[in-house]
Amino acid sequence: MTEPSAFDAVVVGAGPAGSAAALALARAGRSVVMVERGPFAGSKNVYGGVVYGRVLDDIIPTWWNEVPVERWVVRRSTMMMTEDQSLAIDYRSHAWGVAPYNGMTTVRSHFDSWLAGQATEAGAQLVTSTVATGLVRDSAGRVIGIRTDRDGAELRAPVVIACDGVNSLLAKEAGLLPRAEASHYTLGVKEVLDLPAEAINERFGVRGHEGVDIEILGCTRGIPGGGFLYTNAETVSVGVVVSLPHLAEAKVRPEELIADLKAHPSIAPYLRGSHLREYAAHLVPEGGYDTMPTLAADGMMVAGDAAAMTLAAGLWLEGVNFAIGSGYAAGRAADRAIAVGDCSARGLASYRADLENQFVLADHKRLRKAPALVLSERVQQRYPGLLCDLAEGMFTVTNPTPKAGGLRVTRAAAAKHGVKLRELAVDTIRGMRIFG
Amino acid sequence: MTTVDATTRSPLVVACLRITDLHPEVDLLTGAVTRDGLGVGLSPADAAALEHALRIAEAWTGRVVVVAAGPRYIVPVLREVVALGAAVVRIPYGDDASDHGQAAELAGDEHGLARAVAAALIPFGTPDLVVCGDHSVDRGTGAMPAFLAHELGAAQALGLVALTAERAGQTSGPTLIAERRLDAGWRERLRVPIPAVCSVEGAGVRLRRAPLSGALAAGSAVIASAPATTTTTHGTDGGADSWADNQSGSVHIGATRAFEPRTRVRPAPDSADPRIRLLALTGALVAHDPPTVIGPVGAAEAADALIGFLVRHGYLDGPPTPPAPPTPPAPIDPGDR
Ligand SMILES: Cc1cc2nc3c(=O)[nH]c(=O)nc-3n(C[C@H](O)[C@H](O)[C@H](O)COP(=O)(O)OP(=O)(O)OC[C@H]3O[C@@H](n4cnc5c(N)ncnc54)[C@H](O)[C@@H]3O)c2cc1C
Repeated sequence: MTEPSAFDAVVVGAGPAGSAAALALARAGRSVVMVERGPFAGSKNVYGGVVYGRVLDDIIPTWWNEVPVERWVVRRSTMMMTEDQSLAIDYRSHAWGVAPYNGMTTVRSHFDSWLAGQATEAGAQLVTSTVATGLVRDSAGRVIGIRTDRDGAELRAPVVIACDGVNSLLAKEAGLLPRAEASHYTLGVKEVLDLPAEAINERFGVRGHEGVDIEILGCTRGIPGGGFLYTNAETVSVGVVVSLPHLAEAKVRPEELIADLKAHPSIAPYLRGSHLREYAAHLVPEGGYDTMPTLAADGMMVAGDAAAMTLAAGLWLEGVNFAIGSGYAAGRAADRAIAVGDCSARGLASYRADLENQFVLADHKRLRKAPALVLSERVQQRYPGLLCDLAEGMFTVTNPTPKAGGLRVTRAAAAKHGVKLRELAVDTIRGMRIFG
Repeated sequence: MTTVDATTRSPLVVACLRITDLHPEVDLLTGAVTRDGLGVGLSPADAAALEHALRIAEAWTGRVVVVAAGPRYIVPVLREVVALGAAVVRIPYGDDASDHGQAAELAGDEHGLARAVAAALIPFGTPDLVVCGDHSVDRGTGAMPAFLAHELGAAQALGLVALTAERAGQTSGPTLIAERRLDAGWRERLRVPIPAVCSVEGAGVRLRRAPLSGALAAGSAVIASAPATTTTTHGTDGGADSWADNQSGSVHIGATRAFEPRTRVRPAPDSADPRIRLLALTGALVAHDPPTVIGPVGAAEAADALIGFLVRHGYLDGPPTPPAPPTPPAPIDPGDR
């Protein structure tokens, strides 16, 4: 074992949370080292494809001039589908295509490397190809560093920030993460398909750096979850995110779900002639607010997916911005604690307070009931069909039979899908309470 | 020829590495290759070369210098090498904007590259051993190590699967024991004199991991870059003079171009049977020269035998006849070689 090195802070993981934490600390003049198990930041990271950059405004002003972007999302579509129908709410905004933009598609190996580069430029040190294998504690049980897989050498610091992603081993070892329950996780799988830029532009109705984000419900054979299709510069990402226990129960292989989605009559024309470039799978901590760990212990904080901070609330699947927001807040809290020489759980408590006052915990708290509603049986298995039939009933011209009234069509569609109008009303009110 | 003499100077072991994007993107339609630097790393052969260099330097109590020609995106990999305790020098090469002129000249020019590598090593002294990966900097043709060996006046051994340091004897300096594969699972063991340039396969050894302290220290290491110069002055303590200065070299390279066998006129086969005509045209079923064992002979004699074969079969012009003054000698057209 080598001589332990002393830093002000050790950050585990150079994903968005880790890099943001290291950036905050380095900017405050603290000596901070980021430990990343991959050969470079972002090498191990999987996500769907859209990053919402507003969180960066205060951290890296005019970030859009330098971020490695694939396309700026100007069209966002929420689609409900059955096997052979689909109904989409399609929103398009010119404003999203100009600075300061709204969302962007970006490749994680590029984006994470860029963000880690911001941290190292500010003075943080990045050690790659190194796994944090455990925590080092003092005799009082306080966390005082980590052990690594490089000859078991240790890195010591008054604060360790665990940004090691979903299913955080460090948070578990610290006793912060409640016992893992499969129902708190979903499995995300995606394919990246090669498609020439001209084909993307033509098929998705965009040009230049404009991009499209399509979120899809009802494409997972009744397994709670959803699908997505995003446009990159010369590739598209298509995938599904499904409940882990239900997937296991259904005994369906996740790639079969992607194959279904790709073959759907509303999706297939977008992808014609494309070639598979890569396939990836990763867990998503979708449990939300109620499944988050305690955020700070003596000498340690947890941020990003390690703290279950992905917001997966049906209309949204946002994790990277929450990781950046929480990581940066953790870095600043660590700086304050170091300044007053109190890195105990109490000294680090400002971290949680900070998150409550900004979008990270405020959104999670407000939408805490969303995962249950969105993943409920009715929303997943009945409403997509109901809504598609409703649209079909309204838009099918039945001459010479006179047009049916909206209520009659709704009743018929609800009856066909086994939904009582009362249940529909209850879910509508629930939805309005959660999202309203 | 030098010997490793620890009393006068510390032996110098060089790993000459080809660091490149191991996962470049290839456009399926156009075949265009895009490298983005994120997949950059050491091939198994280059990793083995580095490990051999480290082991032999340990055995000789010597220094390790790593030289690599490549664009700026290889710097992170060189930092990992620094973490292992080696000194490092980069020769800007390929698409390195800052040194575009000379770097571009080196691309695809194994000879120029070998001279640049030799020149980059001058500040460190004359190498006792240079280890290359079998897929060396010149896209794996194996020509670059040969040129480098010539530049350094060193012996050369290719395709090695094992390389170990042999202790100095009473009368001789230390040498190297190398192994390479032969047919039918046999291996040959060679004693390689030093200085030597050895190319190893990615087999037999695994590159060690740097200690954490090394990795931390390497994070801020400055990676020196040597100009892509092609002027060398190696050989002053035993190695050969540089190629340009040494006109006694046995090979002279003029302009080169792709090999195109000459068209030969064949008489039309006089048979009505298409099968017979085809056989006659292709020469199938006609007795050919059986394999000939000409050895064991010296290198010069073996080369003469090969050249004789190529001339007999029309691949080469015959040796130029001595010039009759005042007509200048007819140059051998190197394109025919
Ligand atoms: C299929 C899928 C689709 C998604 N789509 C989106 C989307 O479109 N938009 C969005 O905003 N979010 C999306 N997300 C969520 C998003 O990916 C995460 O919320 C985000 O990556 C969390 O960032 P993080 O830094 O907390 O963790 P991660 O990005 O997981 O980073 C953790 C880092 O820690 C490293 N690490 C782990 N363990 C160790 C260890 N022991 N030692 C050293 N290093 C370690 C890892 O290598 C990794 O680099 C998606 C997720 C999935 C799986």
